Amino acid sequence: MAEQSPFEQEIAELLVSSLNLEIEARAIDPTAPLFREGLGLDSIDMLEIALAISQHYGIQLRSDDPDNERIFASLRALAACLAERGACGPSEEVG
Amino acid sequence: MSDWVDAPERGDARLLRLLRRLALTLGRRRTRPLLLPITLYFYARGAPARRALARYYEALGLAPTSRRLFRHHLAFAETILDRVYLWAGRDDAPALRVRGLEALQQERAQGRGCVLLGAHFGSFEAARAAARDEPRLRMQVVMHEGLSQALNDTVAVLHPGVRGQVAPLGSAQDLLRLRETLEEGGLVGLMGDRVVPGEAVYEALFLGRGTAFPLAPLRLAAALRAPVFFFAARYRPAVAGARDYELVCERLAAPAPGGPERAAWLQDLGERYVQTLARQCREIPDNWFNFYDFWHDEAGRPGTPDRGVSGAGGGVGRGLAARRCAARARHRGAPHRAFHGNDSQRKLEAPPPKPRHPVLYTARHLDHA
Repeated sequence: MAEQSPFEQEIAELLVSSLNLEIEARAIDPTAPLFREGLGLDSIDMLEIALAISQHYGIQLRSDDPDNERIFASLRALAACLAERGACGPSEEVG
Repeated sequence: MSDWVDAPERGDARLLRLLRRLALTLGRRRTRPLLLPITLYFYARGAPARRALARYYEALGLAPTSRRLFRHHLAFAETILDRVYLWAGRDDAPALRVRGLEALQQERAQGRGCVLLGAHFGSFEAARAAARDEPRLRMQVVMHEGLSQALNDTVAVLHPGVRGQVAPLGSAQDLLRLRETLEEGGLVGLMGDRVVPGEAVYEALFLGRGTAFPLAPLRLAAALRAPVFFFAARYRPAVAGARDYELVCERLAAPAPGGPERAAWLQDLGERYVQTLARQCREIPDNWFNFYDFWHDEAGRPGTPDRGVSGAGGGVGRGLAARRCAARARHRGAPHRAFHGNDSQRKLEAPPPKPRHPVLYTARHLDHA
């Protein structure tokens, strides 16, 4: 399993808390797909994630975003996208 | 031939095509008598549908007489005929009486969108049409791709403007669009009664007997963070003075909380929804349009294991727990079957019912559009 960057770990913790998942945030493989065959999440979970992200980072994920498929491909892709859009950058440490 | 029950959507489709042609040529008044022989044909050849309805009436404590079962089929056929007129927007369209919309209007007056949780009870088409005719509310339709294709086609033929508003539903993107609709003060309607094979379910006592309901509509309602209403257009032509359809709208839940209170909210919503649906069935039995084995009695016949249905309590919670376990199990590379949860649920789902897709509609609020 690839190692999580600090920012990826922060996002992973957000996923676990907002979806009430019974796994350790650090156990999420950042390169594995989030949905279906990967973490087993579905599109309703994604909606929850989108809401959690907008509450946490003020970044609105819209339905007409051409990058949607890429954004939700994996934890790494999600973190990279959020960093691009001005969420706390990958360099920021999480307590 | 048993497609009425094996594939109600397909049975619907054939009936719809035939009725559309007759209905538009002859008009409503002259077409309605033709429903009698058409319904008789479907009634006579649809033994599974008759059996399923008989069990439904037994659950209601009413004798499943042939007369009652036939009239039930006829009511369904009449609502299908009315769809044609509702969508054609003709003068002979059934009139709609609106009842109980105050709570909904209050929410909408504050610019808040609402989730309407419906069922295959009465005519959701009439509800959609009512929203369409409401000057301040325009209906945008989002449907599961491939769902009730014939119905969609019929609607598109009769009301060409609708076609562009029909979008496939199911991807994350589609769900984001629903939330945007709500943010604009629109309405999102979904069906909460039919289970798609393999999907997560919760168990509840419905008319005194345990069965499974889909968990996804409740989870979606929660994720959309909007107030939830039970919504139906009841068909009651027999009531003196009443117009043909009567919208009912009852508040089921406030917007979902996040965090640890979420599970209780879902539990509560599931119980209220099932109770409200049961109450509606008791009030107007012949508006129940699920002509299939709703309690999985056929599945529970000798030779198949006990379904292990629990009481009304704990159903939603268990469904959710199963989902969480699934996420964990899948993460550890467990086999696919782990996804559907614990043993009792697996038994409940097997053999699965025929595909019954949850229907999702959205109505977009377009003032002065």
